[in-house]
Amino acid sequence: MNHTEKIQHSLKKRHAREKRFRLYGLLSVSISILFLLSLLGDIGFKGMPAFWQTKVKLDIHLDPERLGLGPNPDQDDLFQANYQRLIADTLTRMFPDAKTRQQRRALKNLVSKSAAYELRDAVIANPQLLGQTRPFWFLAKDDVDVYMKGRIDRNLPESQRRIKDYQLAWIDTLKSQGRLKQGFNTTFFTNSDSREPEQAGIRGAFTGSMLTMLVTLSLAFPIGVLAALYLEEFAPQNNRWVDLIEININNLAAVPSIVFGLLGLAVFIGFFGVPRSAPLAGGLVLTLMTLPTIIITSRAAIKAVPNSIREAALALGASKTQVAFGHVLPLSLPGILTGTIIGMAQALGETAPLLLIGMVAFVADVPHSIFDPSTALPVQIYLWADSPERAFVERTSAAIIVLLLFLMAMNALAVFMRKKFENKW
Amino acid sequence: MELGQHISQRYNQELENIRNQVLKMGGLVEQQSINAVKALLNHDPELAREVASRDDEVNSMEVAIDEECTRVIAKRQPAASDLRLVVAVIKTITDLERIGDEAQKIALYAQKLSLRDTVNDMHSELAHLSRRVLDTLRDSLHAFARLDANQAVETLGQDKHIDKEFENLSRLLITHMMEDPRRIKSALRVNWCARSLERIGDHAQNLCEYVIYLVKGKDVRHKSLEHIRAKHFPMDDEETPFVTPKLAD
Amino acid sequence: MTLDKTALVVDNNNNSTEVNLTGSASDTADMLDMTIGETVGKALLEDAKLNVRHANVFYGDKQAIHDISLDIGKNEVLAMIGPSGCGKSTFLRCLNRMNDTIPICRVEGSFLLDGEDIYDRRQDPVLLRSRVGMVFQKPNPFPKSIYDNVAYGVRLHGLAKNRAELDEIVEKSLRRAGLFNEVKDDLHKPGTGLSGGQQQRLCIARTIAIDPEVILMDEPTSALDPIATALIEELITELSEKYTIAIVTHSMQQAARVSNRTAYFHMGKLVEVNDTDSVFTTPQHPLTENYITGRFG
Repeated sequence: MNHTEKIQHSLKKRHAREKRFRLYGLLSVSISILFLLSLLGDIGFKGMPAFWQTKVKLDIHLDPERLGLGPNPDQDDLFQANYQRLIADTLTRMFPDAKTRQQRRALKNLVSKSAAYELRDAVIANPQLLGQTRPFWFLAKDDVDVYMKGRIDRNLPESQRRIKDYQLAWIDTLKSQGRLKQGFNTTFFTNSDSREPEQAGIRGAFTGSMLTMLVTLSLAFPIGVLAALYLEEFAPQNNRWVDLIEININNLAAVPSIVFGLLGLAVFIGFFGVPRSAPLAGGLVLTLMTLPTIIITSRAAIKAVPNSIREAALALGASKTQVAFGHVLPLSLPGILTGTIIGMAQALGETAPLLLIGMVAFVADVPHSIFDPSTALPVQIYLWADSPERAFVERTSAAIIVLLLFLMAMNALAVFMRKKFENKW
Repeated sequence: MELGQHISQRYNQELENIRNQVLKMGGLVEQQSINAVKALLNHDPELAREVASRDDEVNSMEVAIDEECTRVIAKRQPAASDLRLVVAVIKTITDLERIGDEAQKIALYAQKLSLRDTVNDMHSELAHLSRRVLDTLRDSLHAFARLDANQAVETLGQDKHIDKEFENLSRLLITHMMEDPRRIKSALRVNWCARSLERIGDHAQNLCEYVIYLVKGKDVRHKSLEHIRAKHFPMDDEETPFVTPKLAD
Repeated sequence: MTLDKTALVVDNNNNSTEVNLTGSASDTADMLDMTIGETVGKALLEDAKLNVRHANVFYGDKQAIHDISLDIGKNEVLAMIGPSGCGKSTFLRCLNRMNDTIPICRVEGSFLLDGEDIYDRRQDPVLLRSRVGMVFQKPNPFPKSIYDNVAYGVRLHGLAKNRAELDEIVEKSLRRAGLFNEVKDDLHKPGTGLSGGQQQRLCIARTIAIDPEVILMDEPTSALDPIATALIEELITELSEKYTIAIVTHSMQQAARVSNRTAYFHMGKLVEVNDTDSVFTTPQHPLTENYITGRFG
């Protein structure tokens, strides 16, 4: 056997091994894609209906008498009037077959409790409506909504359904009269959290998350970048203290996030008296969590700047600071930005530390500043996932979809920024 | 001075090859000179013819070495001692070729002179001169072969003896010519031979100068012997490898 | 009569000569075993631009440069040659304190630029580097436009009063670096888009834009093709009319072509420094000879 033959002999084996390895790789990639797709599919399937909401049309006679209003009601009177009664009247009139107490309550629960508020706001906005009969579209109660989306099987025995037979009959009647329609669920984006699923929205949590991110970004980015710049460009090398700091930063990146929550609770809220549940507290805690990531990625980006550039600037008589800010920072900026955005994305998805500093509270208001109590998107998801109502399941998934889209947007921004700054030259 | 030890083995071989070819050419030229003188003194037209015919060999060797030197310069860009070697070789082969020409001339005269037995009475003087010249040639080739600057400068001193011998011989020939005008023609021929021998001596001097240039890096052409000795061979001709000037602050 | 004896022993079949190499050859062999000793040749000059005396440079515990004394004359091109790791680049970088950026580097000895101590406590490295410019091995233009590259140092030191003056300096520097005609229409294109040779000339233009007194060049053509190299070498010769230039090079031919004086470094010591002509024809130290002729050191 000469060399060529020997090599040919072994070649078969080698090719087989190569093929096998490629197959394994393909297999593992397919499995990951399968997992991802099933996750996204599940969330999408569950969450997409939440973006549609069933509405009910009721012709309301705005009778000032039933509202208990005098001839010339002022703003306060209008605000405090009992609009709920009008809705109940209307429904009773439409479905007189509701006899028992239980059935009457069920009848009232065809529309959301928010219907009364909507009516009130309409009257206050336009007092001329009093005395007239007008059609209004109200949010349907969550059970009606869920049924309309086909998530309740009417063939099940009545005892196993949330909706009783007489309710089904009413819904069918409303449907046949064209009084039910499904529209885009704006409430989900404009409302804050609520006990009533059909009224619950993510605006409060979203705003809370944004404010928290703002605090985190405005603290973590400058501190992280300056720390990285100092450690790479100015700190004495082979110094025990610098080494110690380096090791600590690396360790900090590996600390479980809940520990940061405990720290935040003890230091920021306990010691410095930062308001509980506020985005400020959340932002501070997430800053602690993000800093190591930003410092480590920034240092890597700064290290990647070729030394020849530093030398060139130094040789022309630039000072160390001029080199660091005039050359090193701009050249490492794409990498730093990428790292920062990845760190921010991590922080955005973080739940555990926020639970500890009280951002888990039920907050029905949209926060207006970083000092207002608030929740965050992931915490909202956690809260909703805990709720028993069927309608909250789809809202949980919808919130996850929003969070994922937000994260994707951030990552896309990171890619865009890197490309933009790299393409500069 | 070492030719070897280059990082490039082939460069070593090329330089070695050039040197060997020069030594070979030197050997050939020396042999030619010896044979020419032999033919002249022993009236051997056969040997003289052989010498005349072998001159082409010398010429072609010169061309071959010249080409080889050009190649080395183009390919290797020799520096320092290597450069001096190549330059010295280029010059040396020119002088060797001239020596070969002179030997050829002597051989031609030897052929003509041998027809008439007229130079017998000048034989010893001619023999004396040729011995000096051939000794000088041998010494200078030795100096080149061993790259021995000391021997080279030693050999340079021989020139004045040769010049003296040549002068004596010329005077003797003139005397002969005045005594017997019929012998003017052959005497002139003998004079030409002596002249050629003297030229060979001069070329041998040149070879020595090249050796000194090659070893010492100093061009000693057109300088008096005393000057050369004083400047480049101080301390009683013992060689100093290089000067180490004191570094003043 | 010794007519029958030929003087030479020549063996045609064998390349090695049987003639014993005597004389200076044995001296050379002896020299190789000797310590390098004191610098050979003409290390000190009168009225020099840079005077270096007893320079010792350490990297941590390792001594990179051993007691080097060397002068660089006004408008002189000094070439520094030697094998890798011989300390020539280290020495060059001492002349504008680029070694300051290496924390473990320690420099001893006196370095005088026009009689001023480079390493004096009061000497500002920023000012020093504006007087002693440097061109590096790899062309390292900033990722900015050609114009900004050249204008960088000028702006940094505030050497131009207004835009027009800056334009003039940029053009003049590019012209002097022999680059202006090639890039005059592309002044606002990135400097990194130029060819290697053009980039290096851009770096030279950038260096001469702040009008230094001395230009240090650390293997400026080692990354360039022969034509770009020839252009740079031509440029060095032209620049030497105005500037003092110290160039480190691995190409001995380059040192021979561009320099007035050549210094040979070996193992952190200055072995020999002399006029380039004499170094390349008749080096005095056997180590120099070995290096120049490509022999084992």
